[in-house]
Amino acid sequence: MRKQVQITAPWPTREEVATHLRISKAREKELQVFVDEFLARFSKREEQPANSEKRRKSASAA
Amino acid sequence: MPPPPDSKAVFLNIPYDQEFHDLYIAYIVGLYQLGLVPHLASEIPGGARRLDRIVQLIQSCRYSIHDLSRVELSTAPSAAPRFNMPLELGMTITWEILSPDQHTWFVFESEPYRLQRSASDLNGTDPYIHNSTPEGVLRELCNCFLPDRTESVPRMLEVYRFVNGLRDAILRRKGTRNPFDRSVFEELCWVSFGITEALRVTESEKR
Repeated sequence: MRKQVQITAPWPTREEVATHLRISKAREKELQVFVDEFLARFSKREEQPANSEKRRKSASAA
Repeated sequence: MPPPPDSKAVFLNIPYDQEFHDLYIAYIVGLYQLGLVPHLASEIPGGARRLDRIVQLIQSCRYSIHDLSRVELSTAPSAAPRFNMPLELGMTITWEILSPDQHTWFVFESEPYRLQRSASDLNGTDPYIHNSTPEGVLRELCNCFLPDRTESVPRMLEVYRFVNGLRDAILRRKGTRNPFDRSVFEELCWVSFGITEALRVTESEKR
């Protein structure tokens, strides 16, 4: 039997993580570019299936 | 007695070698995606009392992961077994025996049944087998830490691939080739956390 644990701790906050990592505010801003880049790619990919579903529905309605 | 451990903190006892770079990043990304915070011995400043500080770090973490997948000798002429990971696991086991409510440890391995040969005293401890793949690490993290929501391994893998792709840029900026350097670790952590947090916000807005 393998050990398993249920995570009960609240999610770490930005302040907690920033304090632990000691990243400067200036560098935080620079690294935010990477986060934004990931999100842009992610939302673009999420939109594609939603748009093709809309097109399929409107085509079948016509 | 030390103060109570941080309930989100996970001490990562892993090999610091080149073959492990991908899995190291998978651990960082995976733990943040589960709402946990990884800690490494490289966070500890150097000095004569390094062992004491490692003990303090273990005691400050509610959980620890001990990856014993690098038990083989290297092919270098002066090859020596790597005792640091078993040593730190031994210290952790002692700490858990003394304070069972304060700490829980897990063993990760790449091959099934090898632990029975490499550390037979651990018989009865079933390790998590990651098959030396980032996907395996993410899958096994989800198997041992159960969050309050279901995490998708493909999603975690997508974040992992992105963060791993940033590795060279971060190394260049930090002027090092060692991704285990404290400053590189901190930036890999920050980006992993930032993406995790942003995805959580996006998902909660959809609901």
